[in-house]
Amino acid sequence: MNPILFQVLASALVEATEEMALALKRSAYSTNIKTRNDFSCAFFDSQMRTIAQASGQPVHLGSLAKFVPNVIRTYGAENLRAGDGILANDPYLGGVHLNDITLISPVYASDVLIGYVANLAHHVDVGGGAPGSIGAFREVFQEGIIIPGVKLVAQGKIDDDIFRLVLAQIRSKRETAGDFRAQIAANITGTKRIAALAERYGIETLNAYMDELLAYTERRARNDLEKLPRGIFSATGVVDTDGYTDEPVHLAATITIDDDGVLFDLTGSDEQRRAPVNSTYAQTFAACAYVLKCLIDSDIPVNAGFYALVKMIAPEGTVTNCTMPAPVVGGWETQHRLTDILFQALAQAIPERVPAGTKAMMAQIAFGGIDPRDGDLYAYYEAIAGGYGGRETKDGADAVQTHGQNTENAPVEETERNYPIRLARYELVNDSGGAGKFRGGLGLRRDYQFIDHDASCSLLSDRDRWGPHGLFGGREGKIAQYFLLRGGEEIPLASKTTIQIQANDIISFRTCGGGGYGEPHERDAQRVLRDVRQEKVSVERAREEYGVVIDIEKWIVDEHATRTLRAKK
Amino acid sequence: MSYRLGIDIGGTFTDATLMDERTGETRIAKVSSTPHDPSIAFLRVTERILREANVAPQDVRYVVHGTTVATNAIIEGKIARTGFITTEGFRDMLEIARQIRPSLYDLQFEKPKPLVPRNLAFGVPERMDAQGNVLTPLDYDAMRHVAETLRDEKVEAVAVCFLHAYLNPLHEKLAGEILTEIFPEAVVSLSSKVAPEIREYTRASTTIINVSLRPLVGRYLQNIQTRLRDAGLNAELLVMQSSGGVFTFAAASEKPVFIVESGPAAGVIAAAHLGTALAQKNILSFDMGGTTAKAGMVQDGSPRITKDYEVGGTARAGYGSARGSGYPIRTPVIDLVEIGAGGGSIAWVDSGGALRVGPQSAGADPGPACYAKGGTEPTITDANLVLGRINPKFFLGGEIELDVERARAAIQKHCADKLGMDVVSAAHGIIEIANAAMVNALRLVSVQRGYDPREFVLIAFGGAGPLHANRLAAEMEIPTTLIPMSPGIFSARGLLVTDLKHDYATTMIERVDALDTRAVQDAFEKMERAGHNVLAREGMADTEIQFTRQVEMRYVGQSYELALALPNHELEANDISLLLEQFHRAHERAYGFSAPHEPTEFVNVRLTAWGKIAKPQLQEIGKTEKQAIKESRAIYFAERGGFVECPIYDRYKLGAGARVSGPAIVEEFDSTTLIHPEYDARVDRYGNLWIEQAPE
Repeated sequence: MNPILFQVLASALVEATEEMALALKRSAYSTNIKTRNDFSCAFFDSQMRTIAQASGQPVHLGSLAKFVPNVIRTYGAENLRAGDGILANDPYLGGVHLNDITLISPVYASDVLIGYVANLAHHVDVGGGAPGSIGAFREVFQEGIIIPGVKLVAQGKIDDDIFRLVLAQIRSKRETAGDFRAQIAANITGTKRIAALAERYGIETLNAYMDELLAYTERRARNDLEKLPRGIFSATGVVDTDGYTDEPVHLAATITIDDDGVLFDLTGSDEQRRAPVNSTYAQTFAACAYVLKCLIDSDIPVNAGFYALVKMIAPEGTVTNCTMPAPVVGGWETQHRLTDILFQALAQAIPERVPAGTKAMMAQIAFGGIDPRDGDLYAYYEAIAGGYGGRETKDGADAVQTHGQNTENAPVEETERNYPIRLARYELVNDSGGAGKFRGGLGLRRDYQFIDHDASCSLLSDRDRWGPHGLFGGREGKIAQYFLLRGGEEIPLASKTTIQIQANDIISFRTCGGGGYGEPHERDAQRVLRDVRQEKVSVERAREEYGVVIDIEKWIVDEHATRTLRAKK
Repeated sequence: MSYRLGIDIGGTFTDATLMDERTGETRIAKVSSTPHDPSIAFLRVTERILREANVAPQDVRYVVHGTTVATNAIIEGKIARTGFITTEGFRDMLEIARQIRPSLYDLQFEKPKPLVPRNLAFGVPERMDAQGNVLTPLDYDAMRHVAETLRDEKVEAVAVCFLHAYLNPLHEKLAGEILTEIFPEAVVSLSSKVAPEIREYTRASTTIINVSLRPLVGRYLQNIQTRLRDAGLNAELLVMQSSGGVFTFAAASEKPVFIVESGPAAGVIAAAHLGTALAQKNILSFDMGGTTAKAGMVQDGSPRITKDYEVGGTARAGYGSARGSGYPIRTPVIDLVEIGAGGGSIAWVDSGGALRVGPQSAGADPGPACYAKGGTEPTITDANLVLGRINPKFFLGGEIELDVERARAAIQKHCADKLGMDVVSAAHGIIEIANAAMVNALRLVSVQRGYDPREFVLIAFGGAGPLHANRLAAEMEIPTTLIPMSPGIFSARGLLVTDLKHDYATTMIERVDALDTRAVQDAFEKMERAGHNVLAREGMADTEIQFTRQVEMRYVGQSYELALALPNHELEANDISLLLEQFHRAHERAYGFSAPHEPTEFVNVRLTAWGKIAKPQLQEIGKTEKQAIKESRAIYFAERGGFVECPIYDRYKLGAGARVSGPAIVEEFDSTTLIHPEYDARVDRYGNLWIEQAPE
């Protein structure tokens, strides 16, 4: 094995997937893909092992590792030709929710199969019971079109029958058609680039080096995992409601770190519900993979060499590994929350490395109706950021996406131009960060105003009953809140709901703040002063929670009063 | 007698380049930078070069300055105390930014700190809709109150960015008037003036960066101007812009956001100019210095421009992962892919046993191991030295004597031993891995943008560029590599061969099938009047003023635009059908598909107003001297399986028409060119080396 060629090929393979990502982003139509980057790209070898990934959404990437092999096996690798594109989203084949549609294309060089490129994109609408295809459904069949793996592109040509059949299920036809074309463009880009590598270096050489890349990755990852403290660490938590009942969804995690590595055991989590909070095996696997990746050097690539080390027990029939026909669209809430619980368990093992509780929910909103400007159906979807947890030496960031999710916001001006709505407010939620020596980040408020038409609006979110956990004396972050503002009234909404909107209604979406880290009384008083000055913390909370008295005339800390107050506690 | 003077201030050195406008003859001088007051070094190097060249101060016609003052101020947080005013309900735009983490798996990540603290960010009642109609008129009282508060807070600068102001600047104008009335000392920038384009966060960020730099950059340039005037220079004083082109000190003081990448632009401009002079219009430029390598692209004689840029972001070749690590600007910047692979980049073996190069750099101090200044880690320069590619006694013209043994020892200890290789194979590995990273960078600016590198000429410069260029070209099948004279100072020439330039943009989101061509023409004429006025003030005659028009287009529903040239007249039906054809083709090229039946739309129309400055001719060189070969040396070539004794040529003795067959080395003071086996180089009448595959 030549270490030089190794490094050359390892980076070229990743660059190929990065080029796919650029092609997809730049040519896509929907705000969710083109602006918010809600997609991911990867390359698999002929044995369907993940070889390289573009930096995308970690939860997509982890689930693709399971989904792509299943789809290819089901369809039959022997039925694929150069230039083909297989379209799939079936959660029970290893997919996630129906909105995430994957396109898989084989890569050939000199008629020999080299592997597969795949890209997954979150489509704004896939049909089903509500615009944006999110809502409190009771069976997966209500959630939209299920695509088991069909040949959308045959040897470079789109199969018009399939294309029309798929689009017929979808509200935002024109946008989605553009997004599908962008997915095809991404695979063309990736196929060309990988084939060129095979031709340049030879197929056998490329295969040998891909084997070595996986071995290298596994070696490095094992090396880092060996340094973790041994032990059994557990934590539990809940998804606040399942969307159909108010019964919290209990999640349990036990992490065993021993000489064999890290085992994530989710036994004890609730049985699956006839409500949208069920996570598929692939989705739960992605959560564990994300957590494990955070425990090793960020420079280590993510591929099958790494995924081989993700060991998970997720009992079938539970919300962490649901079975047909359980609805799955809200599985992201469970998956995301689970990530936070896993870190909560790890806080006992590596307190210096993990954050306190974060937003840890997807915070999704979708709406649609008839656009009064052109009479066409429209659908809109986005996911909103919140507070990050405090850490051993720094505060949690305000208003960021957390853990497996890293989608961007949609600019207000672009949104108002493209959709018949107005954003009335977009700001931090003051006092929402959990108090701590290092406080939690602030949550985010986004208000949507429906100007001149009736619409259907769905929320698929969580955490309006219990806020993100604090660590080592840090306090919980403030809970999320959801309101309908109608005729001067503030009407509370459930975190998972679909409602009919009238003209001039406002939906006010307020995400939770992050949890605090360490005793609030140990917080540097100057930091509290800065927070008060910036209105992130109120004078009252500074006094009550942090024991810091601020003189707001002079904008200084009243040192004497602060000492006295802090001494009392 | 008239001269042009270029001054480039870097962290360590301040460089001057003086060019005789008549002959094109160039000389250089260098002094240590004076970071506490850069104008001191500016004046010092100016005086030195004029004295050495025996040129009178009044004979200098233009001084062009390339500077990192703006970027450094942002990175070091030395910008003015700035207030921010926006629409009520949106004051947290900067705190929220893009709502993402700049790195995916890093639990200890940091979000960049907003350039304006939250207590100086204000929302004021006012609102436009997405068509630019007023929904809520500006609340004068609230606006006055904010102006008073900012005055009491003693801010120096104020940025105003209201929602949809790119369509209707009325409220921003009114806000500006109120600020001027209540708080006349404040420097104010309006988003509708600085960057009138859709997307509020990037527009606000651009406006804030602009206004927060104005006091500092204004003082900085004023200081230089005073010193130069006192020293008897009455030359026109110009600053290099991030997009290439120059503008006056006055214009730069007004719009400093246009100079954030002033330094790196010069190299690409120099490459574009040389290429044009040699009738090569499509160029990949490759600039490799001590800490980084930069790849750029010139198409039809113009450098490629990007508007998706973050100041102070983490440099990374590729998409995505570092996004959100800096502060976005929407002003044009020359599209460069910069990677951490320069002569000083450190080679290491990671925990999985793979050999890696960079991004850590030994810099100039302690520098590579072979400098013997205390550096112990192996660098790219050390590897080149061990392979015989650099002359230990003629590095920087002999300024530093290099220690081959230290280089070998460093590579042995940190790479070869760990990999179980011999030291030469490890050294070769370091070079190949660095080359692979550079190939990726070159691919990103060419293949990724839909261009075939085989249709380009590679122009390589910077002290280390010519050592690597031949190999990169071979790898990418680029047929011709061009090494200019004095590659180490080549990029400084970019300062001296550019035109006055002012960029304007107007957002016009209009479907092409319903285009109001009169409105487009009006928009261009308005921008042309603005450009003409500024250039006339800068002393340009009408005959020297030119305009180029561009449109940024996309399929209706997309968010990323492709830029296309427009003719300089009101569009007619056949212009539009031609434009559409070009658009579909450009889309096909960039993304592998086009959708000719889909509707298209204009997004922004852009105008560049040029004040043409005469370009110096390239300088011709003489005939080859008899003894152009000065010695021979054993040099390692993997393709030859080991060291090969190669002739070493003295570049200054290679005359027009000379030919050099690889393997060979061409040495000059500031650089070394490596010519691989199976390649030939010929010298043209201007002294450029053209490296091409040898005929079979």
